[in-house]
Amino acid sequence: MILGILNVDWQTLADALALGAVYALMAVGIGLVFGVLRLVNFAYGQLVMAGAYALAFASQWNWPRWAGILLCFAIVLALSLVMDRLVFRPLRTQSPAVMLVATFAVAFLLQSVALLWFGPLGKIASSLAPLNRPVVISGVDIRKIAIVAVVVAVLCLVAVQLLLARTTVGLQMRAAAMDFRTARMLGVRANRVIGGAVLISGALAAVVAIMLTVQTPLVTPDFALRDTIVVLAGVVLGGLNRLVPATLGGFAIGFASGLLGGALPTTQSQYLPSILFAAVILVLLIRPNGLFTRGRESLERV
Amino acid sequence: MRRPALLAQLAAPCALVVAVALLGTLVSRSSEGYFVDSLVKVAIVVALYVFIGNSGVLSFGHVSFVALGAWTAGVLSVPTAEKPAIMPNLAHFLRGTTVGNVPSLLLAALAGGVFALVVGLALMRLSGLAAGIATFGVLEITHNVLRYYEKIGPGLNTFSSVPETTGLWQASIGALIAIGVAFAYQRSRFGRMLRATREDAPAASAVGISVYRQRLGAFVLSGVLAGLAGGLYVHLLPMNTESLYLDLTFVTLAMLVVGGATSLWGAVVGALAVSALDSFLAQAENGVKVFGGTLDLPAGTRLVVVGVLMALVLILRPAGLTGGREFSLPRWRRP
Amino acid sequence: MTVLVVENLEVRYGAVRAVRGLSLTVEPGEIVGLIGPNGAGKSSTLHAIMGAAPVAAGDVRLAGASLVGRKPEDVARSGIALVPEGRRIFGELSVEENLRLGLAGRRSQAGADDAVERAYELFPIVRDFRRRTAGALSGGQQQQLAIARALVAEPDVLLLDEPSLGLAPRIVDVVFDALAAIRESGLAVLLVEQRAQRTVALADRCHVLSNGELRLTLDRDDAADTEKLVAAYFS
Repeated sequence: MILGILNVDWQTLADALALGAVYALMAVGIGLVFGVLRLVNFAYGQLVMAGAYALAFASQWNWPRWAGILLCFAIVLALSLVMDRLVFRPLRTQSPAVMLVATFAVAFLLQSVALLWFGPLGKIASSLAPLNRPVVISGVDIRKIAIVAVVVAVLCLVAVQLLLARTTVGLQMRAAAMDFRTARMLGVRANRVIGGAVLISGALAAVVAIMLTVQTPLVTPDFALRDTIVVLAGVVLGGLNRLVPATLGGFAIGFASGLLGGALPTTQSQYLPSILFAAVILVLLIRPNGLFTRGRESLERV
Repeated sequence: MRRPALLAQLAAPCALVVAVALLGTLVSRSSEGYFVDSLVKVAIVVALYVFIGNSGVLSFGHVSFVALGAWTAGVLSVPTAEKPAIMPNLAHFLRGTTVGNVPSLLLAALAGGVFALVVGLALMRLSGLAAGIATFGVLEITHNVLRYYEKIGPGLNTFSSVPETTGLWQASIGALIAIGVAFAYQRSRFGRMLRATREDAPAASAVGISVYRQRLGAFVLSGVLAGLAGGLYVHLLPMNTESLYLDLTFVTLAMLVVGGATSLWGAVVGALAVSALDSFLAQAENGVKVFGGTLDLPAGTRLVVVGVLMALVLILRPAGLTGGREFSLPRWRRP
Repeated sequence: MTVLVVENLEVRYGAVRAVRGLSLTVEPGEIVGLIGPNGAGKSSTLHAIMGAAPVAAGDVRLAGASLVGRKPEDVARSGIALVPEGRRIFGELSVEENLRLGLAGRRSQAGADDAVERAYELFPIVRDFRRRTAGALSGGQQQQLAIARALVAEPDVLLLDEPSLGLAPRIVDVVFDALAAIRESGLAVLLVEQRAQRTVALADRCHVLSNGELRLTLDRDDAADTEKLVAAYFS
């Protein structure tokens, strides 16, 4: 019924769910690194972009699919580690504002490098294109990628959750996110937990790159830039200092933008960013620490 | 502080601006554009500095005020006869109104200030990351609306037919005004109170300073300066919404950070240093003769170099080239 | 053999010298007390040993090897465990998870389960509440958890920063009894405290710190000598 009022069909709903799922993964990737470093990684989208270029080149070279996916993971993980080593670690003791500006700079740098190397026209990542074909589920057409994206996202979230809850390094990452100083004095190795968070975050970026290239096969230097901006807003909206609220925020903003984008006529949907960001600003004013957090928690570590 | 030292703090950035303007008169007509552009950037970065430097709160939203200033000055300056061609959907009251150059700049400043007031009334309660994201949201909304709302401007199209009045003269006067206002502000009671909140907000509120009001004051003032700079910018070269979005935000923030965000001297030095580098690289992308050889960089090198520079400065010297300090005369050791 | 040596230690935060020329040693099976008023430099000394405060001069050696310049996690992993001021329990994690975090300080993971078992024996309350959220424990229970968390690393040296702070007298007894038992097991203990009299009575030696400098060293017999204590504090 509600679907009818909003003029949403099942395909739109499935796509919105899929977008929400992909954004939730990005939110986890951003949230994990924030947890241990108190750093909002503006350049997360450029990791996704790098992965997307890897997929595009792999399909241009006619590599088999698995090899392309492997290349995507390798590139994104390597780039994550380099970013950690060259940028995050030297900046660890700086204020959140300096770190935000710094990752903003890194984002621009990587985008410019992509522009320089690969040109503005973009490349096509086509090897996973068959996933765009619809399957018919009880008379309704749903694109395969929507189902794949939701399933993959759920699997990834479960895997991350298990890793955090059941493994030693996961426990140490959670502790470091709460009180890094004390964790270190107990013997928790800072570089190990940061490296762990950066790697998981990078792996998720690779997964996101794969999902997004199916939906948008044309890979340009600003690939995933808009998505990152929206996810960042969603993450702050949900509450950045906790992983679950951050993930919910990412999902919510992805789902909302997918739904509104599909339901509104073009004359209105072109104002979608305004609607989303106006909502974000409104929420921040009412609950500066996020929508899904309890009580009064400080956004920044004291 | 001793009077000469104080004077030097104001005179040094002004002298730098005048020097750049004078240098601009010596070069060829085609290179002059770079000098004018760098002076407009000085005005934008100083506007940014008034808020970010004095308050310590990050803003990604100032380019919105520049953009609104540019739109205001632009729409009001296009000759009435040409408006239907460029902006067919323009609102009725804008269609028949065209003002002169100086009024258009003043109205741009006014528009920037009013917009900053509206935004600031709500947003100045936030700080830290929330402020960063919220101001970013303002930039997104402004860009989005200017891009599609054709009743107030050209929308997706380029703003052409705006009289190109911003030359060395106007740009340097604009930059000097911005510097003068910023200096007067930071020396004033309000400026000092805001800086106190930057150093220690709880202590500042404890002695009765309203953090919210002081931040709002600086935000509006910087909105006025940003609007003025936007007016100058639109009179400089034909532009569209993309010229007033992420790239400009990045470049101006980079300038402020590279120079040193906590001083006026840093803002001016950063703006001019990065501009100089940027212009040189822009030239080099078209091929330039250096030391007898020809340097021909591929397109896109500019942002890479500026990005590397900004990242390097942040990592190696987070207080910026000037260390975030005002200009001071070298001290003479008495024998 | 002396296990922990602090020699002419100077800790400096910018222009402030928090600790000046402090020397002390701790042997295995010994509790050394460090007492003095607030701001005397007691916590700074512990943080300097842990590599979490800037050492401007002097040396800290563990079994002969200098610790100066090492990261806190490396100090912890070389055999020094800290029970931090205010306990610093991870309130959102379970009691057991808090305890397992202490295992990060072990030199080898072999025998970790035995170490946890011994900590449970010393503090039965920690075992009883191991499934609870640590933040829900009382202050005294959290303090016992914090000590247990330090012990599972099986360190050579145990540093405690005001473990009795904010605890009811009955709980202070529990904590101090546990410290005596820990001494029996052969650990070297450096105990920072505000409760001077009790600390002097428990410790083998007790150093009085004031304005970052060592003023006086008391032995166990001085515990009854209130005048000497007062004089040491207010000199």
